[in-house]
Amino acid sequence: MSSSSSPMQSTGRKLKLKSKDDETFEVEEAVAVKSQIFKYMVEDGVSNGPIPLPNVNGKTLARVLQWCQKHADPTITEDELNKYDAGFIDVDQAVLYDLLMAANYLNIEELLKLACMRVADMIKGKSPDEIRRTFNIKNDFTPEEEEEVRKENAWALGP
Amino acid sequence: MSPISLLSVLTEDLLVRVYTRLGSDSDRKTWRIVCKNFLRVDLVTRRSLRILRFEFLQRLLFKYTNLDSLDLSVCPRIEDGAISLLLSRPEWLNWTRCLTRLTLSGATGLRHSGLELLLRACPRLEAVDVSYCWGYGDMEASAISCAKGLRELRMDKCLGVTDVGLAKIAVGCGKLERLSLKWCMEISDLGVDLLCKKCLDLKSLDVSYLKLTSESLRSIASLPKLEVLAMSGCAFVDDVGLQFLENRCPLLQVIDISRCEFLTYSGLQSVARGHNGLLQLNAGCCLSRLPATVLHCLKDMKNLNTIRIDGARVSDSSLEIISSNCKSLVEIGLSKCVGVTDMGIMQLVSGCVDLKIVNLTCCRSITDAAISALAKSCWKLVCLKLESCDKVTEKSLNQLGSCCLGLEEIDLTDCSGVDDKGLKYLSGCSELLCLKLGLCTNISDKGLAYIACNCTRISELDLYRCTGIGDDGLAALTNGCKKLMKLNLSYCNGVTDRGMHYIGHLKELSDLEMRGLINITSVGLTAVAAGCKRLAELDLKHCERIDDSGFWALAYYSRNMRQINMSYCAVSDVGLCMVMGNLTRLQDAKLVHLTKVTVKGFELALRACSVRIRKLKLNSRLRLVLSSETLETLHARGCMFRWD
Repeated sequence: MSSSSSPMQSTGRKLKLKSKDDETFEVEEAVAVKSQIFKYMVEDGVSNGPIPLPNVNGKTLARVLQWCQKHADPTITEDELNKYDAGFIDVDQAVLYDLLMAANYLNIEELLKLACMRVADMIKGKSPDEIRRTFNIKNDFTPEEEEEVRKENAWALGP
Repeated sequence: MSPISLLSVLTEDLLVRVYTRLGSDSDRKTWRIVCKNFLRVDLVTRRSLRILRFEFLQRLLFKYTNLDSLDLSVCPRIEDGAISLLLSRPEWLNWTRCLTRLTLSGATGLRHSGLELLLRACPRLEAVDVSYCWGYGDMEASAISCAKGLRELRMDKCLGVTDVGLAKIAVGCGKLERLSLKWCMEISDLGVDLLCKKCLDLKSLDVSYLKLTSESLRSIASLPKLEVLAMSGCAFVDDVGLQFLENRCPLLQVIDISRCEFLTYSGLQSVARGHNGLLQLNAGCCLSRLPATVLHCLKDMKNLNTIRIDGARVSDSSLEIISSNCKSLVEIGLSKCVGVTDMGIMQLVSGCVDLKIVNLTCCRSITDAAISALAKSCWKLVCLKLESCDKVTEKSLNQLGSCCLGLEEIDLTDCSGVDDKGLKYLSGCSELLCLKLGLCTNISDKGLAYIACNCTRISELDLYRCTGIGDDGLAALTNGCKKLMKLNLSYCNGVTDRGMHYIGHLKELSDLEMRGLINITSVGLTAVAAGCKRLAELDLKHCERIDDSGFWALAYYSRNMRQINMSYCAVSDVGLCMVMGNLTRLQDAKLVHLTKVTVKGFELALRACSVRIRKLKLNSRLRLVLSSETLETLHARGCMFRWD
């Protein structure tokens, strides 16, 4: 949990962020520092003027900031947080990808973990074909190569 | 489905994150097949490998370069020549760089030269397991001593190791922290003494069943960091030896003095002194009496969580003392204790509410009153053993099924009070994983159906001699309990081929015991073989109607078979040769009283499997008629014979 050294009061210090499609957001420092990128900026004192984020669109940035807000709230219990996360990440694939890329770009560890866990859950229990279809992945094995991998799975690798 | 590929969103390190969250082995195997990028993630991230077949060994070790743990214990044909070849080229050795754990348990074909090559090739090795390599001796011990960084070593049942070999290890592996010498019968006080002088970092030591005297305890007491001491079955140690431990080994947390015939409660008292940090005490099957004074010693052990005093004579007041002094108790073993009554148990559970594991095997005086009190008090119960407690009826099971919803294991073997109604109540424990109902003659298919419906997580079920169980029960079972891995149907004579057909639907079944099923024919066995692809252990003793066609099916389908008992079956030369020849993972076979197999048949069969078989049980008359060539070859490859 990253936070500045001062306790969670409204210090009034806000960061201005500008998304790829020119939407601006104002967010409290204590919330923004969930992202390691912003944390360093705040620490280095380079947070004047709106920070441009050419890799994140407005809709996604809004979602991410909402998540950060919830996670920076000291009054929320762990149970409520878990419930919130479960609902937050239950989105369609396009949104999930946007969240993944944004969390990676902004270096928000907890959100990245949450999103990766969601992808893993979407993979569990599926067959290779189902996984390829769900995530639009091309099977680049030749039939012989795939056969070799299957053989290794069945006869060579133990649990 | 999104038009964007996942691969364009996730970089390789993010893919690694997703992969590491997969959890199950089958998901990780599926992952490998998806595409080349996914496969590469697996090759780079997988840290531990357990190899099932020799043919894949070289290729897999070449591909997986980040291994820290390698398990070759179930891989056939691990021997000196093979290892030498494996390590012959420097470009094939990437896997040895990071390896820290090596498991060679049961690799009887590997001898000291191969072992030495292997250990020298892995500079970072910290943990080695060569347990059950029964032919290993001092030369192999000498090879092991080359692994200078070794911290953990298991040598259980390396029968040939003597004090000389142990000395080499003690001198060469000074950093040893965990050592198991269980069953290494040639080791004496001398070897232990040198070990304790050289390996001062020892935290865990297992000398169970060794012929040590109390002198060894004098040496062991000098180990300053000892936390775990196991000396089960040390028949020559007496109370004087335990006195050496008094106020020594300050960090001792776990001690096992079970089955040490000459120990008495006064020895136990010595152990208690100076060890208030003790967590687990196993004094089963050695103490006949346990006076109150000894039990009062336990009062200062605030963190004591496990007590096993199986076989001791106890009284209600003993259990009352435990109840008031040992509030943190999680496990108690009172198996075969004389004097356990309802009152005693009720006293015990009133104080020890955190109990999770309770063993009351053969406590015949126990009735529903005690079990009900237990269930109501100790709702966290996870494992309960009530073998031979025949006064237990459905009333107890009702309480357990309503209060102990976390129950995972229950043993009701030989509890004649258990009936279908009882099973209905018990099925309330939906988290049940292991259920033993051997010799419960009062249960029928109806009762089994309740269990099958509600306890869907069951992985082990024992129905030994449950004569009331038939095909319909098995139908219900296979419908409900898809995760069943271990099943015992021995002597359930109501089962026919139809029942076997249902068993064939249990995809996870790996261990099946079906002794004495006289109504089963080859049709039934074929159904099981074809369906249960993971079958690894099969006991068909006395299934006298199963003939060659059943064994052909086994030879064709059951590629994962590791252990088989075909004694008294109607198999002939051809069937036996097919089984022994085709099942390339078979390592343990019991082939007693195969009247239709000729001597020639045995010769052929044994030669066909000589490369990988490790254990064989045969009629003693065969010892005289089989060719010495065959017997010697097998012996040279590390095969152990048992003659009936």
